[in-house]
Amino acid sequence: MHGKLFFKIFGTYLVIAVMAIGIIGLLAGNQIREKLERQIEAELFAYARIVDLYSLKEIEQRADQIAKITRARVTVIDRDGKVIAETDQEALSLGSHFDRPEIQEARVRGRGTATRYSQTVGEEMKYVALPIRKGDQIIGYIRLARPLVEVRKSIEEFTAILLRSFLVILISSVLMAFFFSRRITGPIRAMEQFTKRLRRGEAPGTLLIRSSDEIGVLAENINYIVEELSHRIGDLQEEKAKVEAAFSSATDGIILLGVDGKIEIVNQGMRNMIGERFGNILDKTPLEAFRNLELQKALDQYRTTGQPVFHEITFGEEPQTVFDVAVTPVRGVEGSEGKTMLVLHDVTRLKKLERVRVDFVANVTHEIKTPLTAILGFVETLQEGAIEDKATARRFLTPITRHAERLNRLVEDLLTISNIELGEMRFYFESVALSGAVEGAMNIIQLKAREKNIRLSQQVPEELPRIRADRDRLSQILLNVLDNAVKFTPESGSVTLTAEPAGDEVVVRIADTGIGVPRDEISRLGERFYRVDKTRSRELGGTGLGLSIVKHLMLAHRGRIEIESQLGRGTTVSLFFPVSTEPVS
Amino acid sequence: MEEVKRTSQHYEMELQSIKQSLLYLGALTEHAIENVLISLLERKSDLARTVIDGDAEIDKLDTEIEDRCIRLLALRQPIARDLRFITTGIKINGHLERIGDMAVNIAEKVIALNEEPQLKPYIDLPRMADIAREMIRGSIDALVREDCQLANRIRRMDTAIDTLNEQIFRELLTFMLEDGRTIHRALLIMQVSKNLERIADHAKGIADMVVYMVTGINVRHQWPGDTPDEICDTQRAEE
Repeated sequence: MHGKLFFKIFGTYLVIAVMAIGIIGLLAGNQIREKLERQIEAELFAYARIVDLYSLKEIEQRADQIAKITRARVTVIDRDGKVIAETDQEALSLGSHFDRPEIQEARVRGRGTATRYSQTVGEEMKYVALPIRKGDQIIGYIRLARPLVEVRKSIEEFTAILLRSFLVILISSVLMAFFFSRRITGPIRAMEQFTKRLRRGEAPGTLLIRSSDEIGVLAENINYIVEELSHRIGDLQEEKAKVEAAFSSATDGIILLGVDGKIEIVNQGMRNMIGERFGNILDKTPLEAFRNLELQKALDQYRTTGQPVFHEITFGEEPQTVFDVAVTPVRGVEGSEGKTMLVLHDVTRLKKLERVRVDFVANVTHEIKTPLTAILGFVETLQEGAIEDKATARRFLTPITRHAERLNRLVEDLLTISNIELGEMRFYFESVALSGAVEGAMNIIQLKAREKNIRLSQQVPEELPRIRADRDRLSQILLNVLDNAVKFTPESGSVTLTAEPAGDEVVVRIADTGIGVPRDEISRLGERFYRVDKTRSRELGGTGLGLSIVKHLMLAHRGRIEIESQLGRGTTVSLFFPVSTEPVS
Repeated sequence: MEEVKRTSQHYEMELQSIKQSLLYLGALTEHAIENVLISLLERKSDLARTVIDGDAEIDKLDTEIEDRCIRLLALRQPIARDLRFITTGIKINGHLERIGDMAVNIAEKVIALNEEPQLKPYIDLPRMADIAREMIRGSIDALVREDCQLANRIRRMDTAIDTLNEQIFRELLTFMLEDGRTIHRALLIMQVSKNLERIADHAKGIADMVVYMVTGINVRHQWPGDTPDEICDTQRAEE
């Protein structure tokens, strides 16, 4: 409300006006009164002197005349103060006038004046007295008196003028105070509204005040500050957005611990990795949130040594996630001293690969060692004399050959895989009719199937689109899968091959009525040397690399392999080949 | 004034650190049970031995936490909520230490069991162990968060463990009746089961203490089914 300011300005004006008028009234009033009184006095004296020229007798006789001319009350007093003549009839009865101050003054100094309130007239009176002389003797006194009504009236008139002008000043000062307070509070209120918006965080725009005085300058300054501020806020937000983008789009998990060791910030990467498993983890210590001893140990180590700690930790049970965690202090950021940053890098896949590699080496050695041991055993027996016994020696040759063949197969398979993996295997992709390749593979496998009395059947429609494949590798794939199917199917079972188009792919399904694979081991098929039933498979003469090779070859064909199985009922291997886009030549 | 503030800050930190240590102790015991279960299922006696060795750390932490609680009691003379937290903390500490000991008991039995062929596939034991672990975890969570509802839920889980324990007992009894050679192994398994049941009891004890700490109502000797969740709505008068 601008009322306060209004009253301040108005009050100031009022005080100034009252003081000015008061002083003027006081000084000028006195001045006017004094001047008028002196004038009256001088006038009365002048008349008195003229009257004084007459004799006492004449004065006494002409008193009324004199009074008329001089517009004054005339009193003639003899030497002893007795009133001889008096124009005011009411005052006639009064006693001696000798003790009146004007008479006394006239007797002593030759003239006397006095101003006093007259009871008879009821008005201030100016008295002037002169002695009447006869020679050197004072024979009486002439006294003229006139009421000061004029003076009073003049003063009253003056005061009235003053009061009128005061009224004008009062009204104009109200108007002026109102106007000025509006002039001043208007911009201030605008600023107030402006800053209020600013405080609420709204976009305030520009403060418009057209004024060249201090308020105008102030408004300009505010505008400048706001502009500057919004620039800086904009810059900061941009910076923040950049940092946030980097922070949240990092696939590694980032956790920031506050000085009190509680989790302050978690990035999206971390959230993605842990999911909902731990619920809300903010504002908890890592121990509280994850209950992970390894992580806690890493943190403890960091806290005691103060050095960055790198640790491998395992999260959760099934599925387990393995993290490389780096515990480091937060440096170089103001207000972040004593905070700790945890960066978690998911190495589950790496760990798995590492295990596969370790397993591979162990498996390869094992696979090579078994036939070698057998061969060496037979050779040693021969060396120790068995070679002399022709029949035994000949009998020994068969297993030696079998094991050597197996070694050879193993090495060949390994070579195939490593060639594919190294990208050194040459593929000649062309448009191939599936029926031909199936026919060839079936013919080869037929022998083996007949031995075990397994029924082989195939269903390849004539109108099947041609596929994009390497002819030799395709038959290798089919042979491997069919071989597996026959191998793991008990006597008098059946193996069926069907093919059908599926979108822009052709799917070949090879279903057997074999022993099947446990559900949780299906995903591991295709790992090198992975066998569901280790001893049995080796008995059947497998190297443990067959499916692995198929998987690799299918990948090279830009196809894929899917395995479904029911334990004891059989397995279906589905091979998806891309349809050839080449025109049929 | 500054001095008072600093000491109270230090005191607050000390309380927090006791909380964290209890959490750590809880995690250690939980881990011990996890390991002992793996050693049983995968017949890894080595892992069982690490559990036995690991008990030293649990014992050390147990005495350490107790010392710190007593020091805090003596030096700061805490009142109201803090006093209840510290006294409960001491008792919970004891429970956790006993759980650690029982994990060791189980580990010893597991080593003995691994010497002989497996009697039967374990189905109920892993379930018991899982529930026991969940109870420990939940009760410690409830302690740290002062979550009475959670504590009460944990208390009710104890009945499931008791049922499983009885089930295992009956099953093993039939084994023993049928074939005298199985008695040794059956008895060992029974002791494992019994120890798991005892662990669950201790976890329930922790949950009891949490309910007491939050509400001031003693539910220690009450059957969990008789305790309504509304009990948690009653807050201590002094707060």
